[in-house]
Amino acid sequence: MPVAEAKKRMVRINGCVASAQAAKYADVDVIAAYPIRPYTATMMALAQMVANGELDAEYIVADSEHSQLSIAHGAASAGARVFTGSSGVGVQFAYELYSPISGSRMPVQMMIADRTLDPPGDFGSEHTDALSTRDMGWIMGWSCDAQEAFDNHLIAYRIGEDRRVLLPQMVCQDGFFVSHITGDVELPDGGQVREFLPPYKHPYPLDPRRPVSHGPQIMPEQGPPLQLERARAMEESMAVIEQAHEEFGKIFGRKYDPWLEEYKTDDAEVVFFLQGAHAVTARFAIQHMRERGIKVGMVRLRTIRPYPTERVQDSLSKFKVVGVIETNMALGSVSSGGALYAEAAAALYEADKRPLMMSFMAGMGGEAIVLKEFYWMTEKMIEAQKKGKIEKRTHWVGFEH
Amino acid sequence: MATIEVQRQVLPILENPNRGARFYNPELPQSEPFVPGHRTCAGCGPSIQYRMTSKAAGDNTILVGPTGCMYVANSSYLCTPYNIPWAHTQIGSAGSFTAGVSAAYEAMIRKGKWQGKFPNIICEAGDGSASDIGLASISGALYRNHDCLIICYDNEQYANTGIQASSRTPYGGMTTFSPPGPEVPEGKKLYPKDLARMMAAGHPHCYVATASVGYPIDLMNKVRKGLNHKGAAYLMVYTPCQKGFVYETPRSIDLGRVVVECGLYPMWEWNPEKREFDYSFRPASMRPVSEYLKLQGRFGHLHAEHVANMQKFANQQWKMMGIQIPEALLRAEDAKNVTNMAAAAEAEAVAETV
Amino acid sequence: MSTKGTKIPDWLTVPFAGITPAPTQEKGQDLFPTGNWRAIRPVYRDKLPPCNNACGTNEKIQGYLDLVKRGKYLDAYALIKEDMPFPSVTGRVCYHPCEQACNRGKYDEAISIRAVERFLGDLGQALTNDVVQAGKPNGKKVAVVGSGPAGHSAAYQLARLGYKVTILEKSPKAGGLNRGGIPDWVLPQNVLDREVERLKQLGIEIRTNCEVGKDVSWDDLKKNYDACVLAVGLIDPNSIRAEGENKEGVLYGLPFLRDIGMGTSKVKLGARVAVIGGGNTAIDCAREALRQGAIEVTMITVEGNQEEMPAVPEDLHDMLEEGVELIHGRACVAVLGNGKVEALHLHPAKFSGAVNASPINIDREAKPEKFAVDNVIIAVGQHASLNWLPAEFKNERGTIKADKFGRLGDTNFFAAGDIVQLGSGQPLMVVNAVGDGKRVAFNLDKVLRGEALQPRTIPVDVIFDLNRMNMTYFPHFPRIQQTLLPPKTRKKTQDEVIQSFTEEQAVEEANRCFSCGTCNACDNCYLVCPEPCIARPERSNGLYKILVDYCKGCRVCIEECPTGCLEGVPELDFDTGVVRMDTAFAITPGLHGRQAEQLKHLDERAPKNI
Repeated sequence: MPVAEAKKRMVRINGCVASAQAAKYADVDVIAAYPIRPYTATMMALAQMVANGELDAEYIVADSEHSQLSIAHGAASAGARVFTGSSGVGVQFAYELYSPISGSRMPVQMMIADRTLDPPGDFGSEHTDALSTRDMGWIMGWSCDAQEAFDNHLIAYRIGEDRRVLLPQMVCQDGFFVSHITGDVELPDGGQVREFLPPYKHPYPLDPRRPVSHGPQIMPEQGPPLQLERARAMEESMAVIEQAHEEFGKIFGRKYDPWLEEYKTDDAEVVFFLQGAHAVTARFAIQHMRERGIKVGMVRLRTIRPYPTERVQDSLSKFKVVGVIETNMALGSVSSGGALYAEAAAALYEADKRPLMMSFMAGMGGEAIVLKEFYWMTEKMIEAQKKGKIEKRTHWVGFEH
Repeated sequence: MATIEVQRQVLPILENPNRGARFYNPELPQSEPFVPGHRTCAGCGPSIQYRMTSKAAGDNTILVGPTGCMYVANSSYLCTPYNIPWAHTQIGSAGSFTAGVSAAYEAMIRKGKWQGKFPNIICEAGDGSASDIGLASISGALYRNHDCLIICYDNEQYANTGIQASSRTPYGGMTTFSPPGPEVPEGKKLYPKDLARMMAAGHPHCYVATASVGYPIDLMNKVRKGLNHKGAAYLMVYTPCQKGFVYETPRSIDLGRVVVECGLYPMWEWNPEKREFDYSFRPASMRPVSEYLKLQGRFGHLHAEHVANMQKFANQQWKMMGIQIPEALLRAEDAKNVTNMAAAAEAEAVAETV
Repeated sequence: MSTKGTKIPDWLTVPFAGITPAPTQEKGQDLFPTGNWRAIRPVYRDKLPPCNNACGTNEKIQGYLDLVKRGKYLDAYALIKEDMPFPSVTGRVCYHPCEQACNRGKYDEAISIRAVERFLGDLGQALTNDVVQAGKPNGKKVAVVGSGPAGHSAAYQLARLGYKVTILEKSPKAGGLNRGGIPDWVLPQNVLDREVERLKQLGIEIRTNCEVGKDVSWDDLKKNYDACVLAVGLIDPNSIRAEGENKEGVLYGLPFLRDIGMGTSKVKLGARVAVIGGGNTAIDCAREALRQGAIEVTMITVEGNQEEMPAVPEDLHDMLEEGVELIHGRACVAVLGNGKVEALHLHPAKFSGAVNASPINIDREAKPEKFAVDNVIIAVGQHASLNWLPAEFKNERGTIKADKFGRLGDTNFFAAGDIVQLGSGQPLMVVNAVGDGKRVAFNLDKVLRGEALQPRTIPVDVIFDLNRMNMTYFPHFPRIQQTLLPPKTRKKTQDEVIQSFTEEQAVEEANRCFSCGTCNACDNCYLVCPEPCIARPERSNGLYKILVDYCKGCRVCIEECPTGCLEGVPELDFDTGVVRMDTAFAITPGLHGRQAEQLKHLDERAPKNI
């Protein structure tokens, strides 16, 4: 059934299918696929939609992730709305293209269902794959369930294609926890999407009627102005991101804070700081602990690029202890743990009141973080609160007493 | 779903410039999609090819330029010599970026987002891109049969980075990655990858052809045939590099003829309908490889045995095309009947005095 | 916010994402002129093709062949007519020095230029109105004495210059040697009539039966005209000074042909005819003799072999085909017979000096060979008959004494054609007389306009060396042969022996022309330029232009020019027209800003017409 005639309805689908549905609703023109688990289910769903005639798009089975991204780059340069995606090492096989795509200001959208990097071959989710590209000029954030994944795709297109931004977007979800767990998703009316998401129109596409050259060589001194413009676009996207979320809320009725989700933080003294699917289990654990009188809460980062420095500073400085649940690896980094700690700590550096901070290597390898581990981590935070200092910066959860 | 039918261009085939005894190029399109003001070397073979190709294609064309000389030297410093849309892409993205552009136009025209005849979409990949790093991406584009033309402008080396060997560099060709020395007197020991045949064999539904700047109208017609072919086409064009081959710049076109006459650049077309090679192209004469080698400094170090090896290679090429090899060329396969290149003889003389 | 407060200076303004607007096709990529890389500049410099050079009247042969190639026959005809009043005549009779000089002769076979000329000449004949117009009248009158090739040519050119021309011809019909010296089966009379008609259409008055010295005097000429061209030709036949030359049955070549041509001949030839002489007139006489009923015709020449004979080789070949016998190395010393010629006495002979020139060394000691004949035709050249000319203008050769401009002293009398060319080394051929008539007409014009006559000083670069062209572009291709009537039948009629080219043949043959050293708009330079910096507003000969702001001096165009009209000139010979930059890497501040400015208006730019 063509999207335009679709009526709002509830379905029970997993994150991968939700992403595919979002691409369909966005009426994408070109899809570049290449199989790798777990995101591949999205491409399977899209293939079927195209085969069924539900979506009119060029569905290209690429020969590699590098080609996937190049196809996406080419198609976006020609003026088409593009959808692609990957997982794990696939994200990194395409690494060459991340900077060229954002540098040429092409709003390619890429769906990531996270997967650990090799070795060993593990299908489980870690955020390291997508996070490794975080400084390449892509708008990036994680969703924590299928509905949010669906919504984030539409919102990301709206942001990335805005003339003030024109940047690619990486719309991430945890492998398995989001990608393969079904949930209730409200599919919108086609009219709502059309109202929210205008057709893609790059100002200078590869169009024989108005010829331009994309990506010529430059003189060394012409590099900085171009970089500065890209940096400016990333910074100025923040206002666009806020505006997009607000409009999304108005049209679809689901309101998201674009930057942070705070859960039971009003009187919290210790909080978890994380992104992605573990927020779902964290909410449950926090509820459990709250019922037992522990003043614990959660702050979930929804958008990591651009990084909401002020918001993170304002939010986290209210607490006594912040425990960062990484779900990613940053070997030899400042905390010798993950990548989230360093940025959160840096954001807090200029705060008047700084909380104590520690990093938890939890949910690694795609393992769920179970209730007793939340308890264990909360104990560590309360212990530090009592001692008034951090004795160990990073904890490998499940491997310590 | 209601879709709009995609209209495609049909470019007329140009007349042969030899009309009876007369040499007179056919009427060429007035449009000049590739204008002067670029930094390619004087006499640049790839640039000649670029010019002919773009002129053959016309204004409703989009060019894709993977990294290489034709990117670096042509679009320097935010200057662009392209009067039609052109986009740089990564050296390994030749086929894939092109596929993306082609797919975008298929979808946009079909969905009514762009009005007009389907543009010619041409990728201009160097041989490094086409035969090495971008091989898979080009194969992918050909296999998937996107309506596009992928051209390999074959200057037989990575020229832009300072003359390094590619898998298209001929046996005996000196490059900075295959220098000759006492232990490796021939420089490059490996024979070039037969890229065009590989493309034809592996993607038999595509129009595949080889061409040379030495035969401009033939080249332009092959470009047009490739563009007219609905689906993917691949064209391999010999484009001498004066910097890497070390020759006098006025020879650029001449080398393009001599290389064919010496059997080192077989000219053929793959007919995707009949699924057969067309070997009907005949150069004006058949010559020993030494006549090609002697024009270029990069072969100056070759000894007689190496020249004989080259002749064997050339004779194999003639044979593959089913062309009878003259006695003189068969004799030249024996090193006894061949002399060292002049410079090689000098090098030996110097070595003896040291 | 790291970018707050940042500002990109104007000179570093870059377009959005580096996306660069396309240059215009008209201006090229003007941000980066590369002309200063060049050490050698290609320059179009047309050379003189050897055919044009060899032609007695310097017809622009390469030019009209090129026009024929392109099917522009009328233009080609008009181009011939600049130098040649009657291509229909020379297209039949010319000894074509152009073909001997043709560079293609060194490659395979020379171009059949004469046949193409005839094709064009016949085309001109068919026109109701000729393409040539008389010049704006300048009020001056010129007399031309003689209507042979030189007189015809001089009168024609003078009429084009605006003179009121009167031709004085002593014969009853105009045409001179063209009429009286060339048989009908080479040049049909009606062809010549038509060309004479063309002269009249230019406003030229032709007074026939008007002989200088008899009907008009030297003083009349001086008094009645502003100037006068004497093109009286050589009329009186040379004698061989043989014993008994005055016997009946002894004929002289030119009068023999002339009488037949004028229709006044009363000659009845016997079965056996000897022709004495080895030149073109002798050949024509021998062949005419066959047509006049002779059964056995023998040609007796002093020349030792065919190659030495001062004749057009094709005509010699055709004559032999018709069955004429040749005897070489003999001179006739006596004509035997009782009142009427019955036999000749022949002695071995050879030229004592240069071949084809007197004196002749006759071995009178040798036993004479008796050669039985019924008639003998003597065709060993003519001499002038100038008893009306003031003695001061006569020279030792018995011809008119004129300076190198054809002028008689400082008078307004000029002389042209055989009457001055005899003994000058120039073969006495129609085309040479035409050329002389043309040059004299132009000189006369200069004198009457008060301009000084100066010899040409600019050296002419004639392209003889095939290495100056690129022969790769010219496949070997055989010469197109004209059809001939079969020898057996043709020798009995006055029908034209050599047939015209068809249009296809003319074009095919013109296509063989290399256009030596001359631009023929083949577009090759335009096509092979890597920049491309060769522009042509339209495709036409010589309209190609090198954009010197961009040309890097690779010289591919020069190498690949098929005709060799491009050459390299060191850049130091020029001092203008090149944009000079300090280094290849310098750009002018602001250029990119300007580019950014262009980009702002990109959306407004009219779409290309696709």
